[in-house]
Amino acid sequence: MSMVAILEQALNGFIVSAFYALAALGLAIIFGVLRIVNFAHGELYMLGGYAYFLAVSALGLPPMLGILVATVALAAIGALVEWLLIRPVYDGRADRPEEYSIMITFALSIFLLNLANSLFGPWPRRPEPLLRGSVELGELIVTGDRLAAAGVALVLIALLLAGLRYTWAGRAVRAVSQNREAAAIFGISVTQVGMLAFALGAALAGTAGALMGPVFNVVPVMGVIPVIKAYVIVVLGGLGSIPGAIIGAIILGQVETFGTILIPDPSRALAYKDAYGLVLLVGILLLRPQGLFGTKERRA
Amino acid sequence: MSMTMLRVTGLGLVLTVFLMLPFILGDYWIYTVTIGFYYAILAASWALLVGYVGRISFAQTAMAGLGGYVSALSVQHIGLPPVLGLVLGVMVAAMIGFGIGRMTLRLHGAYLGLTTIAFAEILRITATAEYNLTEGSRGLQVAPLLEGGTRVEYYFLFLAITVACLALMTWLLRSRVGLFFQSIREDEDGAASLGVNVTLWKTLAFAISSAFAGLAGGLQAHFVQLITPSMMSLQEMGLVLAMAVIGGFHNVVFAALGGVGLQVSLEALRELGQWRLVVFGLLTVIILRAVPNGIFGFVFDALAKRLVKKGRDE
Repeated sequence: MSMVAILEQALNGFIVSAFYALAALGLAIIFGVLRIVNFAHGELYMLGGYAYFLAVSALGLPPMLGILVATVALAAIGALVEWLLIRPVYDGRADRPEEYSIMITFALSIFLLNLANSLFGPWPRRPEPLLRGSVELGELIVTGDRLAAAGVALVLIALLLAGLRYTWAGRAVRAVSQNREAAAIFGISVTQVGMLAFALGAALAGTAGALMGPVFNVVPVMGVIPVIKAYVIVVLGGLGSIPGAIIGAIILGQVETFGTILIPDPSRALAYKDAYGLVLLVGILLLRPQGLFGTKERRA
Repeated sequence: MSMTMLRVTGLGLVLTVFLMLPFILGDYWIYTVTIGFYYAILAASWALLVGYVGRISFAQTAMAGLGGYVSALSVQHIGLPPVLGLVLGVMVAAMIGFGIGRMTLRLHGAYLGLTTIAFAEILRITATAEYNLTEGSRGLQVAPLLEGGTRVEYYFLFLAITVACLALMTWLLRSRVGLFFQSIREDEDGAASLGVNVTLWKTLAFAISSAFAGLAGGLQAHFVQLITPSMMSLQEMGLVLAMAVIGGFHNVVFAALGGVGLQVSLEALRELGQWRLVVFGLLTVIILRAVPNGIFGFVFDALAKRLVKKGRDE
């Protein structure tokens, strides 16, 4: 394999990592603040894709605005879901909160998937991408839609990290992630931060869906595979850890891109591509459940 | 009327209805209810694990698929009679279940959910990718369980097996083992400190639940005579979860009734197309949120409460 081909694979891996990171960060923030894994994350991602499709193809808005529409719409949906379904997890209304949180988000994902199937039909849609054609970087050639989407994703990740670090709301989110009780004593409304975290997580999933929709396709099942990758990433980095999610995304992007080359039979290699991350997930959970950067928790 | 009487009357009534159904229904509906029995065993086996032991698993339909594939392939390649194929499928599912239970001992809640999702997807991807053996997503032809069996014969066979499975589960859950399971669900450290062998029972719970799922999958494969990897998908898992939750997942019989009930309603509402799945998805969310004991659990509790009140008045 030539150097250029290797670089091309690595670059592709990084582009894929940028998308994965965006979706995984939402999961990490939700887990950090609320201590729940959102099993409906893939369907929020899918709704983002449809929001973008409706804004760009049906209303004729420019693609940049379409992404904004998806972000805002999903933030609103996220806040609503938190208020209606997630709140019983931490206000004592659910008998077994952890079990409830897993089942309610899983049930929500089934509902949303079938709702999209009924509303929009199972056909793939292809809305206008951010950038057409392909871009040459030295000897490397990348398609424009992927590169632009990855660029937007990187800018958003940078903004998010800055927001978490320097704004009051960001500090509140981090404080609640670190210690719920202490944050509450210092006057942070844990309930409001919970809602903010879920809305933010949903918005990030929606943005990722809006960016990926035109690159792949907008279909009701589009969230099923990316969300599994997002699980792998957050587990790899340690559930709830934000730097962990970014590093996890980079690792997974590379493992998948180069893992595919390892199996000689090409059709089988493609079929097993999605399994690499899963093996990684099982391995990490069994050997080091707290992930690379997570903190150890012991509870019965 | 005591609580036991209420239970016996309820079960007797349900069993009578199921025994009479084939004489009232047409061929198509007999077939539909027979498929419903597959879901009944599957939903009950999931409820056994989640409702009693408090261990969540998203690999239940994958275990059913595993049982189905093992049985189908052993009949096809080794030439076993289907009944022995079924037994082999159950044994392999139990062994893999034991392995998963053993490996995931340290994991709880969401971590366990994620691990079982990963196991389920690895199994499904393998079944799709190894098309030389499994015919991939086109599906594998399976030998029939009863050579030249009629729909009615299959119906009564499946009904008998479902009742036997539920009786076995109920017997197990009412024995000491059931108490061990519930003690683990309520407080694992507490149970361990009182001498419950938590490690053993957590592992065995996974194995037992997987064995029932494997049996259901094998039966289904030999009845429909076709098995595809989509049987192991997370969407199917979602359906089984919906069935157990709607029926009531804190009781294996209620979960089983949810399985048959939902399967029959899905067929009955076929004109609604995809919307019926939306309705049931929404129903699952609402029930989880508002009536955590499920529809049958809610009705039973309401009847029981009236009984107790009446007893007090008299």
